[in-house]
Parts: sequence; structure tokens; C-alpha cells
Amino acid sequence: MTDPLALFWITCVFVIMLMIAGLYCIFVTYNLIRVLIGLELLIKAVTLLLVVAGYANNHLARSQAFVITLIVMEVIFIAVAAGIVIGLYYHNQSLDVRKLRNLKG
Amino acid sequence: MLSLFIILPLLSLMVINLLPKELMKKIGTLMSLILPLAQMLVVVFIFLGILDIRPGPADHFFKFNLAIDNISLVMLFSIAIVILVTLLVERHLIPDADERFNFLNLVLITFTGMNGIVLVQDLFSLYVFLEITTVATFILISFHKKRDALEGAFKYIILSALATVGILSSIALIFLISGDTSFAVVHQALQNSRHAFLIDFALAIFLGSLFIKGGLVPFHGWLADAYSSAGRAISILLAGIVTKTLGVYTLIRLVSSVFGFDTEVKGVLMFIGALSIIIGAFAALGQHDFKRLLAYSSISQVGYIILSLGCGTPLGIAAAVFHLFNHAIFKSLLFVNSAALELQTGTRHMDKMGGLAQKMPITGVTSLLASLSTAGMPPLSGFWSKLLIVMALWFSGHFAYAIIAVLASVLTLGYMLSLQNRVFFGKLRPELENVKEASFGLLFPMIILAGIIVGVGALFPFILNSLIFPIIIK
Repeated sequence: MTDPLALFWITCVFVIMLMIAGLYCIFVTYNLIRVLIGLELLIKAVTLLLVVAGYANNHLARSQAFVITLIVMEVIFIAVAAGIVIGLYYHNQSLDVRKLRNLKG
Repeated sequence: MLSLFIILPLLSLMVINLLPKELMKKIGTLMSLILPLAQMLVVVFIFLGILDIRPGPADHFFKFNLAIDNISLVMLFSIAIVILVTLLVERHLIPDADERFNFLNLVLITFTGMNGIVLVQDLFSLYVFLEITTVATFILISFHKKRDALEGAFKYIILSALATVGILSSIALIFLISGDTSFAVVHQALQNSRHAFLIDFALAIFLGSLFIKGGLVPFHGWLADAYSSAGRAISILLAGIVTKTLGVYTLIRLVSSVFGFDTEVKGVLMFIGALSIIIGAFAALGQHDFKRLLAYSSISQVGYIILSLGCGTPLGIAAAVFHLFNHAIFKSLLFVNSAALELQTGTRHMDKMGGLAQKMPITGVTSLLASLSTAGMPPLSGFWSKLLIVMALWFSGHFAYAIIAVLASVLTLGYMLSLQNRVFFGKLRPELENVKEASFGLLFPMIILAGIIVGVGALFPFILNSLIFPIIIK
């Protein structure tokens, strides 16, 4: 595989598959932790896209910097989200999304 | 010089955590008040040309790619005002000293993040600052660990994460095309690129994600929940400036200086704006919770900003920025009012209130001013920005949207007066006999904000010349 752009399109297929898997995970499940796992999948897909975009246009160093920053941000994000899930678990004694129906109107 | 806007809040965050904690719990807030005050002064000085913004020693150490123009100046000023108000009322709304200290830390992080968003000139740095602010906001919403707040925060997290993923994919595609992420290079590359389809795709994802962040219809589901369930001090910050900076300012900046105004972009912006105005206003009419009504009103007002931006003319952008400023002022005033009411009466349900104007005269008068400004009553500040928006729409030939904007303003008056009527006018309910006016600490920010509303309205010719024309001419 010598053409960088060809590699980009092939990887794009994987990115799209990962994204579909993540979205499926978010929209089908009723479990809060699984929703977070779905979000993780989506962010992983985007990370892959950034890496391969840098490879395709010969700016790999820059895309490395982006990806490392992104990983740090993602960890913080998921840590906070998991904290909120734990808080919800303490209140509801369950991880069911269907229990989150308090706010309406 | 410019990097100080980001470094100083961060530095003071470190300082208040390094100094003895017991002492900082007492005077930390007081010390931090200097920051927004200084920022307001510096913005005024830069604006008047007294202070110049040449790179200083700080900029040689921290090589951010920053720039400032009139739009960013207005935003920096609004951010400073809302942060100032939040810090002023914090002592009265959060009784526990430990919680207050944590709150102060989070507010400073949000402050850093928002200043960063306003100043950066690079898509990826923009993402980083967006994420800093968003994550601090999650913690702020779920701050008191109440059930509703956690639920609102979780909804916000899900939608915000989807928006983040969208923004990042779009940045990746733009990076693929242009090889860089700074605004100027991206703008050039998008103009000259052959990959029209990829660009349109990236643009669509980016706009959609920013609509989620700004809480525009049809992505507004999280906004009312997050605003109404968040703590009293937090919703002032959140509604006043955070979502406006995250979604709306970013949209204005990117569309006006990176993506450019295509016909499709204009069409989408105007359609979403008009939709948000109408749906937000109708949803607000049916609310019984004070803060929920304000949240829907917020959606409606943000719709005005986006509609005005969608004109694509310099007048439209200037009107959008001016309305953004006005919105930050009157919405934070209304949220301070709601905090005072909730503190004094113990409820947010509007049908359980009534006749409170006799008991809480200053809260009543200031919230009446804010409501009328929201509805666009002359000569308050909200009138002038709405007038500019309608003029921008009319002059760019969008007569139907101009008429929608005018008619929706009647709806705004409708729900705002219904709020006033249910809460402050009418007969005093017997169970509210013992209600007292809020303490001076809450009244003081109300009076300042109401003063700004009246003052900006009265001094409008001066502001038109010095603030709005420069944006138009640039």
C-alpha cells in the first residue's frame, strides 16, 4: 500500500464501522456504563481518523501531538462521566437509563 | 499580552490551592474578584486604545496563536461580567465553605477555558478549550449531587460527547485537506480545495455539533434539563455565558472567519435560528417552573442571534454580537432574580407565587427591566439589538424572516409578562406573607446588571458609533 490516500480510504471504512458500533451501543442499550463504552468507541474512531489524516497528508508529527492531547482530554472526560454515573447509581440503585425520566416539560 | 488572559486565571487557580486552605476558604473568592474586574478594565483600555496588545514576555514563553478583534473584546467583557456576578452571589447561594471553595476552583477553570475559546486562532486549540470548559461544566451542573442535577448532567454529557466527536471528525477531515488547523490556513485551503464534497461534509458535521453545544432546536433537549436542575449559582454562569461561548460565539467566529458564508450555510443558519425562536417561545409559554421558562427563553434568544448571523452581512454579525452581549446581561439578571426568589420563597413553581412585588420590590423591578429588555421594549438595551437584527434581515432581503423575528418578539413579550404577572403582580398569597427582600449581596449584582441594561439602552448612539460600526466596517 504505497498511496497514502488509498490507505486513508481503507481506514475510513474501519472508522465508520467503529462509529456505527459506538452509536449502536449508545442508542440500543439501557445501561449507563454501556453508554459510556459506546462514547469511548466513538472517540477511538475519531482518534484513528486523526492519525490516518496526518499520515495521508504527511503531517504525522502534528497529528501525533493532536492524538496525545486528545487521549488526555478523553481520560478526563470519561472520568467525570463515570463519576456522574456512580452518583446516579447511588440515587437510583440501578444503572437503567429508563429511570432517568424525572425532568420533563 | 494576550496569553495573560488565559494564564492569569490558571495561575490564580494554582495560587488559591497552594496557599493555606482554611484562609483561602475565607478570602479566596474575594481575591478572585480581582480577575474579572481587571479583565473588564483591560478590555475597556484596549478598546479605547490606551493599552496596546503587542506580544509581551509572557507570549514568548507560551506560544499560543492568539488574536483579538472587536467581537472577542465584547465576549471577553461579557465573560468578565458574568463571572463577576457569579462570584459575587456565590457566598449567598452556597452556604457550605468547602463547597464554595470547590465551586470557586471550577469557576476559574471555566473562566480560563472561555477566555481561551474567545482568543484562539486554531481549530484544535479551540477544541481543547471547548473540552476544558465543557468538562468543568459537567461537574458544575452535578455539583450538589442531587438526583435531578445528575440526570441533567448525564444528558448533557451524552449530547456534548456526540458534539465533541462530530467536531473532532470535522477537524480531522479539515486537517486532511489543509495540512494545518490554524484559522487563516484553513480558510485559504477551503477556498482553493478540490475536495468540495469532503469540505461540505466536514462543514455540516461541524455546524451540527455547534448547534448541539449551543442548545438550538432540534438539539435543545439537554438545555432545559441542565439549566433547571443545576444549582442556583451555577445556572447563572451556565445560562449567562457558558453555552453562549461554547456554541454561539464559536459559531460566529468560525462561520465569519473560517468557513465563510455560503448560500447553504446562510440558509441552514437562518432556518435553525427561526425554528429555535418559534419553538423556544412556544415552549416557554407552557412552563410553570421559573428556571425552565428562562431556559426555553434562552433557546429562543439564541435563535435570534443565529438568525441574525445567517444574514451574512456585517450588520447581521454586529447585531448578533450585540444581542449576545445583551443576552448575557439580561439572562444572568433573570437567573439572579430566580435564585433570590427561590431562596426567599422556597419554590420555583410560578403558580405558587404571586404579588411578590410588594415584598421584594428591588427583585421585582430589576426582573421587570430584564423581562422587558428580553422582549425588546424601547429604550432598554434588548430593543436596540432586536431592532438591528430586524434591520439586518430586512436589508439583506429576508422579509419573511424579518416578519417572523418581529412577531416572535410579541410572543417573547407574552411569556415574559405572564411570568411577571404570575410571580410579582396580583394578590399576595397568604403563605407568602412573611417573605422578605433578598439580602444586599444578591441585590447588588441585580442593581449593577439592571443599570447596564438601562445604561446601554440610553447610551445606544455612543455604542453604535464606537462598537457596532467598527465591526461592520472591518
